Amino acid sequence: MKGDDSVTAPLTEEAYREAFGIVLSSRVRLARNLRGLPFPDRASPAIRADVLHRVCQAAKTELPVQDVLAGTERLFRQRLFEAHLISRSLLEERPESAVCMDEARHRAVMVNEEDHLRIQALRPGLALQGAWQDANALDDVLEQQLDYAFSSVLGYLTCCPTNVGTGMRASALMHLPGLVQMQEIEPIIRGLNKIGLTVRGRWGEGTAAIGHLFQVSNQMTLGLSENRIVKDLEQIVDELARHEANARERFKREQRRKATDLVARAEGVLLSARLMTTQEALERLSELRLGIALGLTKKIEMRTVDRLLLDVQPAHLQTLAERAMGRDERDEVRADRLRTALGRRPSRRTKRST
Amino acid sequence: MLCENCQQNPATVHVTQIVDGKVAKFHLCETCAQLKGLDVPEQALDLGNMLETLKEQLNQLQTASGPATLERAVTCPVCGTTRTEILKTGRMGCDHCYEAFTAEMLPVVMSLQHAEQHMGKVPQRSSKRMKASVEWVRLRRELEQAVAGENYEQAAHLRDQIKALTPVEAPT
Repeated sequence: MKGDDSVTAPLTEEAYREAFGIVLSSRVRLARNLRGLPFPDRASPAIRADVLHRVCQAAKTELPVQDVLAGTERLFRQRLFEAHLISRSLLEERPESAVCMDEARHRAVMVNEEDHLRIQALRPGLALQGAWQDANALDDVLEQQLDYAFSSVLGYLTCCPTNVGTGMRASALMHLPGLVQMQEIEPIIRGLNKIGLTVRGRWGEGTAAIGHLFQVSNQMTLGLSENRIVKDLEQIVDELARHEANARERFKREQRRKATDLVARAEGVLLSARLMTTQEALERLSELRLGIALGLTKKIEMRTVDRLLLDVQPAHLQTLAERAMGRDERDEVRADRLRTALGRRPSRRTKRST
Repeated sequence: MLCENCQQNPATVHVTQIVDGKVAKFHLCETCAQLKGLDVPEQALDLGNMLETLKEQLNQLQTASGPATLERAVTCPVCGTTRTEILKTGRMGCDHCYEAFTAEMLPVVMSLQHAEQHMGKVPQRSSKRMKASVEWVRLRRELEQAVAGENYEQAAHLRDQIKALTPVEAPT
C-alpha cells in the first residue's frame, strides 16, 4: 500500500522503484453472504444489525479496528475511501454498514455493502498470490463462526450474478504513463477485455484516467479456481508491466525533448503553484513519477510522490490539516503541501520577521 | 472444445439464446459466430456491458414467455423479491432467489460467466459430499486438459485422485 512505511522504509530508492514503479499494489476481494438472510438491500434494519453484530464478533480477533460507518461524517468515510479501505458504495451512507480492519490496514472486511461481507486483502507491489493467501486465511477464520450462502453448482451466492462462484475480484493498481504517451493503451485495454479482464482508471476512465493509474482485474468469477485466477492475472500483469517499461524507454529515446519537457513542467508547476486542484496535482505527480522512473529528475524520491498521491486527496488533506476546509482553501493548502514536501517552503511561511 | 460449426477452430464464443422461452446454446469459433450473424461485441466482457446483457436477457425472458410463466414463481418465498425487481436492478434479493428463479437465472448466469460450474473454494462447513462434488468436477477438467496436452504422467496422478474421491462423491 502506498505510504506504508513498515514495508517500504528499509528499501533503497532504487529497490523501491524496482518493486513499486509500475505495479503499486495488489488486491483481492471476496464477496460473501450469510445463509438464509436477505442481502443488505432487501434486509430489514434488524436483520442488517444482526449481520453487523455477527460479522464484527467473528472478525474481532483478526480485525480489531472496527468502525461503524452509518451516521458518521462524510469526511471520515471519504478518508477510508481514498485509502482504498471502503468502496464507493460505502462512501455514500448505507444503513448498518461498517468496516473492520487490522492495525496495518492490510486486511479489511466491509459489512452490509452490496453483500453481507466484502473481505479484502492488500499487498504492496505485484503480489496477487500473496493477497489471495491473506484473504483466504481471513475467510477461513470468519467462516468458523459464520455460515455462508453457498451452492455446489454456483459457488458462493452473491447479490449480483456477476460475482457468483469464487466471489473473487483480484486486481492490480498500475501506473501506465508510458503506454498512454505512446498511444498504445487503447488497443491493450481492448485486448485485455477480450481475455476476460477489466481495466478501469483509478480515477476516471480509459485514456482519460487521471494520473495514468489503472486497475486491472478479473471479470469472470465462475468456473475457475481462485488459484488459477490469481496466477493467470499475475502473469498478465507482469507482462503488461514489461510492455509499460518498454514504452517508457521508447518514449524517452524517441521523444526525448517531449519527455524532458513534460517532466520539467510537472516539477515546475508542483514546486511553484499557489493553487492546485486534486486533479491537477494527480496529473503532475504522475508525470513527475514517470520522470523519476526514467532518471529525468534526480532530486525527488518516488516514495515521496507516492505518499503525496494519497495526501493530496481532499479528505486526507483535511485530516492532515486537522480541520474541514472549503474547496478554495483546500487548493491553497494542497499547493503549499506539495511545495513543502517536494522541497520548497510554503507561501505562508515566506514572511520573515526581522 | 471445438467449434460446433466448422469442427476445426477452438470454440471461443459461447452463446446462450432464449427464443420463445426456450434456451439454446451455441459453442462457436469467432469466424463462424460472425458468419452466423451472432454479435461478438468488442467489449463484451466489460462489467457495465455484462449487467446490460443480464437485464436484456431477463427482459427477453419476460416478453418471450408470456402469461404462462407469469403464473410460476414471481416472488421469492424467502425475501419477497419479485422477478420484475430482479429484472429492473440485475440484483438478487437473497441466496434463495437463485433457487426460486433457477429456471430463468441459471442460463443467464452461465452465459454471463461463460461457465457452468463452481471450481473454487468450498466452505469448511459444507458437507463432505458437496466438497467432493466440486473437487470431482475440478479434477475431471484438469484431467481432460492433461490428456489434451499429452501430459500423461499428470493425467495418471489426477486419475488416482479422482478414484480416491469416488466413495463419497455422487455428483448428479
